[in-house]
Amino acid sequence: MSFGFGLGSGLRALNAARLGMQTAGNNVANANTPGYSRQRVDLAAALPYGIAGNLQIGTGVDIRGITRLVDDGLERRLQLQLGLVGAAELDQARYREIESIFGEPDEGLSNSFKDLFGAVDQLRTDPGDRALRGGLVQAGNSLAQGFRLVSSRLEDLSGSTFDEVRGLVRQVNERANAIANLNGQIIAAEANGSDANDLRDVRSQHVKELGKLLDARTIERGSGSLDVLVGGNLLVAGDRASALNTGKDADGGTQVTVGNTRSNAVISEGRIAALLEQERAGVPGLTSRIDDLARSTILEWNRLHTTGMPASGPFRTLTAAYGAEDGDGDGQRGDELLSQSGFLFPVENGELHIAVTNTETGAMQRTRIAIDPGAMSLNDLAAEINGIDHLTASVDPTGRLRISADDDYGFDFSPRLDPNPDGAGTFGGINPSIGSTATGPYDLSGQTFPVSFTVTTGTASAPTVSTVTLAANEFVDPANATVEELVAAINADLGSAGTAREVGGRLVLQSAQGGRTSQLALANAGAGTALAALGLTTTTAVGRNNAVAIAVEGAYTGTGNERFTFEPESDGTVGQTTDLRVRVLDSAGNLVTTLSVGRGYEPGQPIPLGNGIKVSFGPGDISATAGQVFALDALADSDTADLLVATGMNAFFLGSSAADIAVNPELLGNPDRLAAGLGAAEGDAGNLTRIVDLRKMDLDDLDTNTIEDFYADIVGDIGFETAAATSALQAQTQLLSQLEADREAVSGVNIDEEMVDMVRYQQSYEAAARFLAVAQEMTDTLINLGR
Amino acid sequence: MSIRITQGMLYSRAYTDVQRGLFRYSQLQQEVATGRRVNRPSDDPAAALRILPLRNDLRDLEQLSGNVSLARETLDTSTASLEDASALMQRVRELTTQAANGTLSNSDRQSIGAEVEQLLSQLVGIGNSRRGDRYLFGGTENGDAPFELVEDGGGTRVVYRGNRESLEIDVAPGVSTALNVPGDAILQARDRAATTFTPAYGSSATGALPVGFGDTGLGFGRLDITFAGLHTDAPSTVTAGGGATTALGALAFQFTTGPDTLSVGGGPAIGLPVTDGTFTTADGRTISLTVTGVPAVTSGTFTARAGLSTDGGQTVVDIDDFSAGSVQVGNGYDGTVLNVDVRTLARTGAEEVKFQGTFDAFTTLVALRDLLQNENQLPDQTVRDRIAEMLTEVDGAHDAVLDGLRELGFRSSSMDVLKNRVEGLRVSRTESLSLVQDTDIAESILEMQRQDLSYQAALQISARVIQTSLQGFLR
Repeated sequence: MSFGFGLGSGLRALNAARLGMQTAGNNVANANTPGYSRQRVDLAAALPYGIAGNLQIGTGVDIRGITRLVDDGLERRLQLQLGLVGAAELDQARYREIESIFGEPDEGLSNSFKDLFGAVDQLRTDPGDRALRGGLVQAGNSLAQGFRLVSSRLEDLSGSTFDEVRGLVRQVNERANAIANLNGQIIAAEANGSDANDLRDVRSQHVKELGKLLDARTIERGSGSLDVLVGGNLLVAGDRASALNTGKDADGGTQVTVGNTRSNAVISEGRIAALLEQERAGVPGLTSRIDDLARSTILEWNRLHTTGMPASGPFRTLTAAYGAEDGDGDGQRGDELLSQSGFLFPVENGELHIAVTNTETGAMQRTRIAIDPGAMSLNDLAAEINGIDHLTASVDPTGRLRISADDDYGFDFSPRLDPNPDGAGTFGGINPSIGSTATGPYDLSGQTFPVSFTVTTGTASAPTVSTVTLAANEFVDPANATVEELVAAINADLGSAGTAREVGGRLVLQSAQGGRTSQLALANAGAGTALAALGLTTTTAVGRNNAVAIAVEGAYTGTGNERFTFEPESDGTVGQTTDLRVRVLDSAGNLVTTLSVGRGYEPGQPIPLGNGIKVSFGPGDISATAGQVFALDALADSDTADLLVATGMNAFFLGSSAADIAVNPELLGNPDRLAAGLGAAEGDAGNLTRIVDLRKMDLDDLDTNTIEDFYADIVGDIGFETAAATSALQAQTQLLSQLEADREAVSGVNIDEEMVDMVRYQQSYEAAARFLAVAQEMTDTLINLGR
Repeated sequence: MSIRITQGMLYSRAYTDVQRGLFRYSQLQQEVATGRRVNRPSDDPAAALRILPLRNDLRDLEQLSGNVSLARETLDTSTASLEDASALMQRVRELTTQAANGTLSNSDRQSIGAEVEQLLSQLVGIGNSRRGDRYLFGGTENGDAPFELVEDGGGTRVVYRGNRESLEIDVAPGVSTALNVPGDAILQARDRAATTFTPAYGSSATGALPVGFGDTGLGFGRLDITFAGLHTDAPSTVTAGGGATTALGALAFQFTTGPDTLSVGGGPAIGLPVTDGTFTTADGRTISLTVTGVPAVTSGTFTARAGLSTDGGQTVVDIDDFSAGSVQVGNGYDGTVLNVDVRTLARTGAEEVKFQGTFDAFTTLVALRDLLQNENQLPDQTVRDRIAEMLTEVDGAHDAVLDGLRELGFRSSSMDVLKNRVEGLRVSRTESLSLVQDTDIAESILEMQRQDLSYQAALQISARVIQTSLQGFLR
């Protein structure tokens, strides 16, 4: 037995109790520190030594170390869960924001649409009312503003992604650096076998924070260092950290790269991943759907509006809102093909009908212009319009098409019926006419060119004889001589004596002189049989003092554009001749119906033709022999080429997407320009009726939805996604709290426990001190023995 | 191992509980405050999808409800106007009956005529009735007065400047109605039928009367037969004269020169120029003509032409082939057609023509007025007889007005039914919408109380648990 025996073991006991106290104190102090793991002093009995034979005696307590109470598997699950919660939080916040951008169901676009169509309904009750017209224009303006607001806020949201990601990446880099530093300290601290508990706690806290931002995987090395992998790339290796960088990819999307290699970091979890996914798919998907909606609204609405009639009646002058682009860079606008002129909406292969109205007499002349965007430039179109009587068209230096009418004339693109379709008077008109009994083209291949026939005009007592000579070079293919070619050839020879024209696809010759004494006679000159080949009679036609008045009323309700041709079945007097009938043929030459206009028909009574059209015939003689004919255009769409939409003539909306939709400023300033009707009557609501129908129409461009249904789907989807994001967040948060509770159960500090520990260590300290006192007394006793 | 509970767990549980209670509490508060269950689409996406179309429906139904009222109002205003017109026609009938009375003198009839004139302009005023600044009877041309009283070559006429288009508005889902009845269908209703006029030479009943005589009357149509010159352009200065024996027909006119004479229909040649010269034809007819300015060299045989017009010369049909039979004479104003059998056409002048079918109010009133004022100095008895016959026409015109009233009444009463239907739909849509979007206040308040209770409980328990610590007991 040595002196030091009792004192050594007592000192160790004192130390152990003190450490126990200190650890409990540290635990209590860090009870609220996030990520802190409670620590415990590991005590063991010190190695005993043998005395007197096979007896062993203990040497007191041995402090093995101070350990953290951590469940590594739980920590890893917790870190993963933090990533999921981070992503869910961001998703939910984003969707809440998107939801508030749309402002449904109270302040959003659905109300604007409702107000706009409501204004249409309201205006229908009194189309001439200026206040209601202004209301409709304003409702359109509100809708356009609503679209632009949604679009710009979505744009902001999308644009903020980059900044947000950059901020988060900076945090990642700070954490990575911190982890690398801690790794260094932990390696140094633990090299001598001790536990760097608190450093580890701080480090795992950093790792958890990282996990909220991105999917960081960790690997613990034997040295105690923790390596961090992000998307397969090493972010932290030992005490070195490489940095993540934020940049933009080729499409302008946000991209995160690793270190100096600039290799793309594939981030699939956490806030950053959620942000990138939102930017990639969430917001752009919505933007494109809203843009589709705006585009379809503009297109369909403008299709109707451009072909309507403003309150002021036919246009005197009209300028396009959009110019053709100078695609080939030659400084000239308008010389590119329509398909390459850079219009917001494509020009289709179709036709445009322009009606020119004499504002004094109301007489209307309609011209059909075939448009092939792949073969026609804006200049070509302007030239064609220029060729129409009383119209002038030009392309200005900015590439805009401008059309104007002569004084006392106006033009419009309305599909209304021509009330007086026989403007030329080739059906019982004053001037004698002879028309072909067949439609063109005509087969002249049997003729020996040049072939001639005489045209006798004037009166019987004072005839004028003209000779028409058809030459081979006047026809591209004499076997298929078109009406246009014949009209040009005959008019060149006929001069002022008469006119050749095309009526309902047929060749018609008409004398320039009218009245009951006037005449028109055709005769073959020489050996040719041109007249027979052209289906023209050689019977003399005579004029009359009073024309057979033909009047059309109603509105065409058919779905396709049609041109009806009317021809007498026999010769006779309207209202008198027994069994006198007029045949009506469609564009294809098929018989539509036969109208009885002979005995029993009261001249002037409207006869229904079907499809909403009524025709009436005034008194007078009509002749099948002379090939009398007139044509009536029945239009469902007077601009199948969408030319007016593309060039923005008489447009309601300008722009082509949600970002730039706007009401035509000309309308904002002057609601009279609103095309409410199809005809010029003040109470005409024909166009409004078409717009009302548009509301119910399933549009192909909107996945066969109506405009409002398509929008409601968008709103519904946002609602579903927001609700899903909210419940996902709840579920993930729930899981997180569960995991946190589990962790707390293992690593959390229970103050009561620590108090108990403190009392325990205090008592054992007191006991050890007491032991030392006893040992000292024993020593004193021993020392005093020798005095 | 039993699970360890730490203070941290207690605190976070307390947080969570309090938070959850507060969140649900604030949700309920919003629901109750706004009265809505769905304040954002995510509150109930399925409901949000139903809310938008329901609201659209509701907005439409509100519009329709307004439209029905508007239609009702407009139709009733039109009805009131037509009731005035009907009363006016009733008054016309009384006046006509009174005027047909044999005891009335010419001047008595004159004063009745003045009243009829008044009534005529009143009727035009009724035709131009407005609601706000829209004319009721002009079709879609409702910004300008549809009827205008004009005096011109065609006599006194009322011209319709409106059109026959209807102002359609929707009054129920899938049902639309016309707000208007075009005025010409009521006040100018005219049941046209093919009319052939056969003049009888020598007959006083159907033969031509002298110009200035009988140019108004029962016929509601007047056929002016004028001497339209000769078959060719020259001589252009021959004019038809007046006089009781003015005749016209398929006559050969023969001019000779040196001396300048004219022989008509093979009769004796008379020296030219003549003023109101009476030519006798070979068959004994006499014709009164003024022939001036015939060029000295003109000679030859010409056929006479007759100019036929039923609209006072606006539209003239020239006849030179008197064997043609029926010739159509159209009226440029109202489109009526008169078939004239020209084979017996013999004299110039004006013929009264009785068109088939019934006539409109304006024409009837004009005819009645002219008859009453008797500017053509017809014999008393003739005037009385004709006035008596006018009653049928007055009744016919009145019937047309009554037809219009019936039509309006029918439409107006169907508005009542539609109004109920639209209101019914509106109520049911409002209910559906309410079911989808609105808070059940009672339930929400109950729920709020429950939440209140559990929130308080959570607070209390948290307070209790958090306070408890061993520390408190270790002194």
